[in-house]
Amino acid sequence: MNGVKVDADQRPSISDVAVPDVAMSVVVIVYNDAARLPTAVRSVLEQTLRGVEVVIVDDHSTDGSYEVARRLAAEHPDRVRAYRLPENSGGCGAPRNHGILKARGDYVLFLDSDDVLERNACRNFLEAAETTGADLVSGMCVRVHVDSRHRKEVKWYPWLYARTRTLDSIAELPDLLVFDTLSTNKCYRRQFLVDSGLDFPVGIHYEDLLFSAQAYTAARRITLIPNRVYDWNVAEKAGAKSISNRRAEIANFAHRMEMHRRVDRLLADQGLTELKFRKDVKFLKHDLVLHLRDLPSRDASYRQEFAALALPYLASIDPAAYDEVEPIHAVCAYLLRTSDWGNLLPAVDTLTNRDKVSAPLAERDGRVYWCAEHIDEDPLARRILDVTELGYHSRPVGKLFLRNELTEYRQAEGGGGVVRLAGRVTNPLGVIPPAARLTAQLEFYARRQGVRFQTFRFPVPTLRHEGSYVSWEAAADLSKGLRPLGVVDAVWDVRLHLDVDSERTTTRLTAAGPSLATGQVPVRPRLTRLIADRIEPQVSARGHLAFRLVPDKKANVLVTRGLQGTPGRLAKAGYRKAKTLRKKVTSGDTKLRLYHDVFLRMPVHRRLVVFESHLGRQYSDSPRAIYEEMRRQGIDFEAVWSYTGKPQGFPSDATLVRRWSLPYLRALARAEFWIDNQSYPLKLTKRPGTTYIQTWHGSALKRMGFDEPGWKLKSRAEQAEQQRSLDRFDHFLIRSEHDVRTLAKAFRLREKTLLRVGYPRNDALAQARESAERPLLAAELGIPADKKVLLYAPTFRQQGGRRFALPFDVERFAEEFGDEYVLLVRAHYLNHVVLPPSVRGRVIDVSDHHDVTPLLALADALMTDYSSVMFDYALLDRPMLFFPYDYEEYVHEGRGTYFDLLERAPGPVVRTEEELRSLLAASSLEEQTLKYAAARERFVADFGEHDKGTAARRVVEEFFTDWRKAQ
Amino acid sequence: MTVGTRERDVFLVSNSVDEMGGVTSWSHQMARLFTERGHRVHVIGVTTPEDPHDLGELPYPTTRLYDGQPPAPGRARDASMRAKAAVLTDLFRAARPGGVVIVTQVWAMEWVKLADTSGLTVVGMSHESFETSKRSSRFQRVLRHYRDVDRMLVLTREDADLWIGAGLDNASFLPNAVPWLPQVPSPRTEKAVISIGRLSDEKGVDMLLDTWAEVAPRHPGWVLKIYGSGEDEEILRKHCTALGLDDSVRWMGRTSDVPGALRSGSVFALSSRGEGFPLALMEAMAMGVPCAAFDCAPGVHEIIQDGEDGLLARPGNTGELARRLDLLMSDAALRDRMGDAARENIRRYGADEIAGRWEALFSFLER
Repeated sequence: MNGVKVDADQRPSISDVAVPDVAMSVVVIVYNDAARLPTAVRSVLEQTLRGVEVVIVDDHSTDGSYEVARRLAAEHPDRVRAYRLPENSGGCGAPRNHGILKARGDYVLFLDSDDVLERNACRNFLEAAETTGADLVSGMCVRVHVDSRHRKEVKWYPWLYARTRTLDSIAELPDLLVFDTLSTNKCYRRQFLVDSGLDFPVGIHYEDLLFSAQAYTAARRITLIPNRVYDWNVAEKAGAKSISNRRAEIANFAHRMEMHRRVDRLLADQGLTELKFRKDVKFLKHDLVLHLRDLPSRDASYRQEFAALALPYLASIDPAAYDEVEPIHAVCAYLLRTSDWGNLLPAVDTLTNRDKVSAPLAERDGRVYWCAEHIDEDPLARRILDVTELGYHSRPVGKLFLRNELTEYRQAEGGGGVVRLAGRVTNPLGVIPPAARLTAQLEFYARRQGVRFQTFRFPVPTLRHEGSYVSWEAAADLSKGLRPLGVVDAVWDVRLHLDVDSERTTTRLTAAGPSLATGQVPVRPRLTRLIADRIEPQVSARGHLAFRLVPDKKANVLVTRGLQGTPGRLAKAGYRKAKTLRKKVTSGDTKLRLYHDVFLRMPVHRRLVVFESHLGRQYSDSPRAIYEEMRRQGIDFEAVWSYTGKPQGFPSDATLVRRWSLPYLRALARAEFWIDNQSYPLKLTKRPGTTYIQTWHGSALKRMGFDEPGWKLKSRAEQAEQQRSLDRFDHFLIRSEHDVRTLAKAFRLREKTLLRVGYPRNDALAQARESAERPLLAAELGIPADKKVLLYAPTFRQQGGRRFALPFDVERFAEEFGDEYVLLVRAHYLNHVVLPPSVRGRVIDVSDHHDVTPLLALADALMTDYSSVMFDYALLDRPMLFFPYDYEEYVHEGRGTYFDLLERAPGPVVRTEEELRSLLAASSLEEQTLKYAAARERFVADFGEHDKGTAARRVVEEFFTDWRKAQ
Repeated sequence: MTVGTRERDVFLVSNSVDEMGGVTSWSHQMARLFTERGHRVHVIGVTTPEDPHDLGELPYPTTRLYDGQPPAPGRARDASMRAKAAVLTDLFRAARPGGVVIVTQVWAMEWVKLADTSGLTVVGMSHESFETSKRSSRFQRVLRHYRDVDRMLVLTREDADLWIGAGLDNASFLPNAVPWLPQVPSPRTEKAVISIGRLSDEKGVDMLLDTWAEVAPRHPGWVLKIYGSGEDEEILRKHCTALGLDDSVRWMGRTSDVPGALRSGSVFALSSRGEGFPLALMEAMAMGVPCAAFDCAPGVHEIIQDGEDGLLARPGNTGELARRLDLLMSDAALRDRMGDAARENIRRYGADEIAGRWEALFSFLER
């Protein structure tokens, strides 16, 4: 072991007598922490497990910690022993090693003097260890932020501790070694430590990193328990870091790199290559990121020293690890490796602000790269810097969060209130065109979220294109223009709104250097001029320019009194009240009450019809078809369309209301008709005077409603509530008897509500079937006349979030079939896709189109998996092909289907990308048309018998004939 | 008696000594077991039901804190609770060192909490799955009243882990014991699927009927025997008729002869919406009747090893449960294999096994 000589305990005669049934020894190490040591020791003595002893090891403190330790030992002679190292070791390793030597329990735990054990920790450790025979039991550590207002608690890698789990080897769970590198939340069988010769390295920081790795790899069995065992008390660091701290930071980083090297060596020696790989991935994703985030606020010499330490280690990272991390992590690591500081520092901005586009980007050969550098020389750079999949290139400028680097911050001569600001906004891939009309303004707004009392705006007179940037200059007279209330809002953020033609993009000002913006500026707060009349620039945690109201030094006491005393309290209370009130007024409950108690009591609004499609996400489908038919026939009615998000694309001749807004609720409460295709909010009751026409949005392949397991499982009361919302439907449109057997039964609809007229949305398809001409949409999409149109419309998938990954290589597809076809990709409205620029013109994302029907009418063939568009498209009698690449998973793992698609598909079924390619290569669409003609006819008969192209007309005739305007 | 165990005073405290219900039966089952193993047992109930279940001659004493129900919550309740807690304190004080108080239901804990339990080990129990608790007011009460007991026990490791995740770090688990291990298993000759349980929404007999509607047409000659009675009987019978199943469903009513009922069938079905550690499954397995069940609680997949000694379907997925039943009904050899495996495997919940685990726990909590 470490061979440190140690003073004998003061009462050897007592302490050397073995306590008979000590199951656990808790080694408590202390260095100059006399005040907190007793709390730590008490947390051991108060354990629910009684057979626990405390071994205190003092690292030669100078504050009387050892005396405190001895006093504790004297108070509990059977349970507490105290030792002291002959000289300070400067770390945790030496005292813990000494504790291991002195421990007598069957199991050993480590506790730091400023932390505490959960009171059941030892009992839970012991139960797990004895039940499973593990050498090592690990439990959940919780970081307790003791200085925060409500003692904020953060669980330490909780996903590792979700359930009790026993591992026969660390190889079963590499994440444990990679992430949970603490030594303190663990219980070690003492004989295991002795037999494996395990001890902590001495004379180097981060000793836990190596110790935990050694313990994990040596243990024959490891048990994880979900119990909270260890409270790691975290005190917030006070004040800004001084230069000497910076020195310590570099030294620490050197230690950390050394520890990583030692752990890597250990893993290599044991042949644990998978663990090393997972550790590399984590290094890129976490360890490196932590340090990189600090770089923008550090000076050049720090950066150089940091790079000198990091580069050799980065070289040891497996290049394949770059493929496992997010693009921005890989980009940053690569730019650091190549010491490309010019590109690295902006990239770090994106590490901190994940949505931000901080580089100009470059397009080469149909792919998008982080920067133009490196990619032509280094094949690795081509791989790592390729950020096509982030989809920046397909977003309009209004949906991009662009980096805006502050290049100048200058206070006017004479210390007046005018501040000159200049900066440059990144213009990636020229998304801001040179010819665009540009205007901009700077906006100051209070940091507080929620109720915003004040914002202040300043014009930005100068804007011009400069290469891949748009630069700007402004002079803001803060003394005149900024009049903060002063007590409530001490911190002010700044943003720049840039209007590109009519589209607005909003940026934050990034202070790129450590000391770009300094100096105080006089302002005139409205309430607290006497005590605070200046503001001072500061940089937020995310690197953005902000301002803080600073008090005159003499008035500091008054400010404190202002902020914490009566005026501040009153102002803050007023603010909180306003916030609570707004929350209350806008809460769902209040709205529901308003709907039922007020709006429903107002009289029915004659001839008011409320339309909605897909919960307001689209202007589409049968509600749209009915609406347009009503307009065409000159029906006299008042139209309201509901929308979610933005109202673009909704009809201008209707009143548009945002879903769940008060006008929306009022319209629904008073309408004579509700027409939608999915459901109006479940909790809104419908008055008897309102007629609800539920058009529904597609025939069913998957089990629906009460045929779904989730619905069946509901209790009777919950089912009754669900049924009440379904019973609001007065009419339900039916395409075929298949709908009657499935949807109508699944929703338990009464026969008299069923309206066998077909889907209004499909009228257009019946007409298109007769027409030989290609719709105008083809030209809008830029589809050449000689290309056939293949529409790919997959159904909704939950995996991977909103992003839908195409199940085939779209670039290869474009290459092989681009001469013959244009592929339209229509993602489900809850998913989206990203296409690389290389396929431009040959593959087109049409997911944003509100209505799918015109796309169906345009397509010469349809490819889908399980989407209900198959039932509609069949009406066109054009070729269909089915690509259910995950059929088993989708059909059997899910809620089940009403029929077997593979048996009844009216077209070829391919299961793999290979099959898809060979099918398209081998046979023409004409052949497909002929081959499956009978199958398609049968399919239409089975699923669309009522779709005759007259649905909208029949609905209008049935309900709205009386409203026809006098001719 | 095994080495290291000792005779203890064991108090089992429940809502009632003599009401109908799973937890009460469990208390008396354990009281008998502990008594047989030499412990001095006392069964305590808070209330006395209006129509008490006849318990017959008991080999241990019982105490009822109230003759009827306690006063409604309020000042009168509080005063009475203090008085009744004093009764408990007197009983507890008479215990020898090493005594144990097992509180089987969280409501009873409100009285035990007020009593003096010093020197005794207190164990709190929840006999339902975490998810079921979560949906009821018991969730918050368990968190509050069981926070400081020496051990809070649920039925499975998985449920214990969930309680720990919710902040109860003293949570652990101990499964229930199977009440009997019959010498002779079911002959598995009758073409009948058996269901035994209260006819209530929780037991999901409506879903069993939906399932049966999918599977029955493929197996003419087979019947579904539904044992049990309850508040939903009329609704369920109507549902059965609406599904056109009257010819193949037999309504058997409540039975006191569970082994007899199990002998008259070859497959057992469990279609509950929620469960704890279902006794009915254990009994069917002990009789060698293979089971198909909705995997609606950790206790279910703890008892049944899917594909080994029974078959599981995802909760509510009647299509899947129908396929599982279809499999068992179509294949006599499979029924025999799974039935025999079930009979063998269920022994791990044998009375001696479980009682031994309890005694080991008592000793562990003293360390």
